[in-house]
Amino acid sequence: MHGEAVLRQLALAPGIERVDSPRHASVLLVAGGIPPYLHEELRRVHDQLPQPCATLWFRSEPLLGLESATRIDELDDLPRALIVLHRELMSGRRGSSPRLLPDQPPNPWEGLGDFGQGGEGMMGGTPYGRPMAMNMHDDIRDGLTLDSLTFRLGPFFPALPPGMKAEITLQGDLIQTWSTQLVPYPVSLDAVFLDALQRPVPIAELELARAREHLHRLFHGLRLAGLERLGRQALQLANTLTLDSRVDGLRRRLVRCGFFRLSLSGRGRLTEEQARKIGGFAARATGLDDDLRSEDAHYRRLGFTPVTQAAGDTRARWQQTLAEIEQSLVLAKQAVGQDLHTSETGSVETPHGPWTDRRPEDASRLLGDLLPGLEWGEALATIASLDLAAVSEWPLEAWAAAPRVASHEARRA
Amino acid sequence: MIWRELILPVIVVLAALGIGAYVVAVLDRLIAGTLGMPQTGSAWQAPLARGAWLLTQTANATEAPDWRAWRLAPALYLALAATGLAVVPWSETLVATDLATSVVLWGSVEALATVVIFLHGWSANALFALIGAYRYVALGLSYILVSMFVLIGVALPAESLQFTQVVVSQAELWNVIRQPLGLPLLLIVGLGMTFWGPLNLADSADLAGGTASEVSGPPRLVWDLARAAMLVAFSGVAASAFLGGWLGPWLPGPLWLVLKMLAVLAMLLLLGRLLPRLPPERCVILMWVVLLPLAFVDLVWAGAAAL
Amino acid sequence: MELLTLLVILLLSLGAGLAVQWWPMRRQPLPSYPQRAPFLGGGLPDTHAWSRYHVRYYPMTLLLIAFEMEMMFMYPWAVVYVEKGMMAVMEMGMFLAILSVGIVYAWREGVFHWQ
Repeated sequence: MHGEAVLRQLALAPGIERVDSPRHASVLLVAGGIPPYLHEELRRVHDQLPQPCATLWFRSEPLLGLESATRIDELDDLPRALIVLHRELMSGRRGSSPRLLPDQPPNPWEGLGDFGQGGEGMMGGTPYGRPMAMNMHDDIRDGLTLDSLTFRLGPFFPALPPGMKAEITLQGDLIQTWSTQLVPYPVSLDAVFLDALQRPVPIAELELARAREHLHRLFHGLRLAGLERLGRQALQLANTLTLDSRVDGLRRRLVRCGFFRLSLSGRGRLTEEQARKIGGFAARATGLDDDLRSEDAHYRRLGFTPVTQAAGDTRARWQQTLAEIEQSLVLAKQAVGQDLHTSETGSVETPHGPWTDRRPEDASRLLGDLLPGLEWGEALATIASLDLAAVSEWPLEAWAAAPRVASHEARRA
Repeated sequence: MIWRELILPVIVVLAALGIGAYVVAVLDRLIAGTLGMPQTGSAWQAPLARGAWLLTQTANATEAPDWRAWRLAPALYLALAATGLAVVPWSETLVATDLATSVVLWGSVEALATVVIFLHGWSANALFALIGAYRYVALGLSYILVSMFVLIGVALPAESLQFTQVVVSQAELWNVIRQPLGLPLLLIVGLGMTFWGPLNLADSADLAGGTASEVSGPPRLVWDLARAAMLVAFSGVAASAFLGGWLGPWLPGPLWLVLKMLAVLAMLLLLGRLLPRLPPERCVILMWVVLLPLAFVDLVWAGAAAL
Repeated sequence: MELLTLLVILLLSLGAGLAVQWWPMRRQPLPSYPQRAPFLGGGLPDTHAWSRYHVRYYPMTLLLIAFEMEMMFMYPWAVVYVEKGMMAVMEMGMFLAILSVGIVYAWREGVFHWQ
């Protein structure tokens, strides 16, 4: 997942701050090619940066109208380029990026109606281009009939998996309906997982790659929970992962700061059927002990049995993630002592679920059943604790087939 | 006369507010650096560069905001912080507003902060800002009682609602020792008032910045400044109520107060960096079911010690 | 004099807060409509955000009113507490005990949960 790889690189770079809203950004970084059907949304996000702003295109083709924008292909030069752009904007040496969309209200409205609101009756019309919320449904929790708000979120919303777009109806801060309109970009795995389908690979290498993948997910979850510091620690651990690495310190800090007991609400419980559909660690956190590694003779020789949790909620999934990282490190260390390779080919348990004859598929349509009734923060924490995207058929190094993610970065001195 | 009672206190309060807000930004960066988050440049310059950038950036608008309320809310929050700092006594004689009811005045600042923060989120007429605003009200209505009981606790031994009397009553023993539950509870209130760290429900990441998600440029600068200033005002109140305010040997009174304020600020900023954000529902339950009974205990404790 | 000082501080800080916003923005044109649309990661809302919002903690706000009333009695009580001694303890103790029963009852009824 290359956009994500870029974000991780930038998260560790000093002097660059990733912001949650384009209003807070000075530079819009587009990492990887954006497919044409998302250009309209990208234009919208671009136009939402307050001026002066600039764009930086990393291995990506600038949008029509932004031909003069800076392009860059080298990952290591990225932090520097962002800082330079910000500095030029601030000193006025670089003009602002032009607006791409025409300056028109979303709907015509002015001058019509008794109150100039653009329509008939008190609430009719589209004042400032949008109707007022008049959409009454009985609430799913307490049955009160109040307004609900419908909107489309994504595909460039920082707290959702990259590329995911959903139509959501909220009543208060509770999710009433959720329908996934665009599924997240497929994630690319470390090449060792794809190799394992073809030929035996060293178990140590496979397990380290798995632990790394889980740590990357932990980084995103912790950032969303407001634990930026521990998120960075998880990331640093992933970058320097060796056979002797330990996650005890990270686990201890997470327990002590109350991540499990205070921050996670224990909502977002999967049913057995949903868990089976998502597969992988989320299924094991729901109590299913499906793991292709149990079928591998060499894993069995290492004494492998799947770790499981019973609860199947957000808390159980993060506990499971940590437990699987620990297990992977132990397995890797044992395997390297005995120089063991995988014995099965043609199937592999990826960090995102089992890959036998088919790749792990996208499961984000399940959110429509899982999320209604959850409070907004709980819903996003649930999404962060799951891993819904499909697995790409290309391994991580193939930049040309990079999935796409846009994110905005503001740089502060 | 005019100098001693009007001009000097005004200068002291406004200077403390401005410098204090800057120190908060510097301190936060230093703490982040100590906790292993790499920082470029000097921590002393970075807040200034950020401020300059926000002045360069243009202000955003939404489709149909309540303009007056939207621009007024950050300024009002700043004014509330200034009001809060005005009741803090710097020494026996140097107090901007030495009302007989200055504890009550601070209580009203806490209550009005909820209104102003709600206004900031509501007036933007944008979804995430609105959710942040309503979330904050849940928090604001929950912490206010905890705060009141704790502050009544420090008023008991002083037999007065005046902060100078509260400080004088600590001449023998500071309230932090006499009422050990008080300061920890008040620190949580402080995090709530400035929606900092674990209690950042209003401007959180899951709402893409919450009440500030649609704000950029100079209004955002004022909002950030006001938040830091409120933290400063709160630290002044906490230092006066629990750490003996200006009292201390050798050094002059105002210097003691500044040192104690810095200690409170460092504590709050450290907590802000170390703890995860609480979900709003969890937060309300925690305040009412755990912290409010603890505040009762604190009051009983304070009452027993005062008799 | 105290109140005059307070008023001056209030007005100066309020004025400064407004001036910092107004001065750099005085010649700024209104941003374009696409920029003014609410940020939803590239998505758009159907309606304005202002609505009859479903506040999920409304029973808690009712409970708060009971306590806020009680605070008004507590301020004068705090001043005379040491002077009145045990009598003040008993009076406020009874009052708080009754209110505490209210919290326990409210908790049992699930008032603090999101409705």
